[in-house]
Amino acid sequence: MWNKHRSLKLSRILVLCFSVMIFMMTFFVPFVADWYEDVSDGMGLIGGSVYVPMMVTLYVCEGLAVWAVAELHILLKNISKGEVFIERNTRCLRCISWACLLAGGVFGVMALWRFLLFLPAFFAVMFGLIMRVLKNVFEQAVEIKSENDFTI
Amino acid sequence: MPIIVNLDVMMAKRKISSNELADIVGITAANLSVLKTGKAKAIRFSTLDKICEALDCQPGDILEWQNPAEKT
Repeated sequence: MWNKHRSLKLSRILVLCFSVMIFMMTFFVPFVADWYEDVSDGMGLIGGSVYVPMMVTLYVCEGLAVWAVAELHILLKNISKGEVFIERNTRCLRCISWACLLAGGVFGVMALWRFLLFLPAFFAVMFGLIMRVLKNVFEQAVEIKSENDFTI
Repeated sequence: MPIIVNLDVMMAKRKISSNELADIVGITAANLSVLKTGKAKAIRFSTLDKICEALDCQPGDILEWQNPAEKT
């Protein structure tokens, strides 16, 4: 029978799988950058090779992904402990939001070499904004819960 | 908050302990402590009713509004 505990467990497993994927990605970044250099034929403001900028972009985004996944892990751990509307969880959402916005910024810079990369930049910024709104909702919920807890 | 809880004063006047009052009102001693120390953000009418009944007093004897401007 599917229940909220199993759902939470699935989320934690997926986060773990994603963490492993990010770790594995570290070794393949140069190959991915090399492959992109070969296949990309787009336009950009800056010409020349995209190998180094792509490598830098991927490594920076990987760091941001590690940050976001670590915060996700903390968030899920707190939720499984029954601590949902707490300050720490709001901070987790804020960090994830910033990680996405920064990733969007990094892809935005990379888009100077290839305009096509404005697309992932747009999606990252959009996701960051959604997370930010969620963070604001969570912040309010924490306040309401605190008020409820201190109502005698 | 400009609302001051004078519950401890009233309890001292009636010579009633925290545990006794908590038992009568039907709240935990920890919650009563939250109320006494002024950490509470709100109080239910039902709780206030029971406290007033237990201490034989008016809500105004327990709660006091202090003008923040006058505080300094």
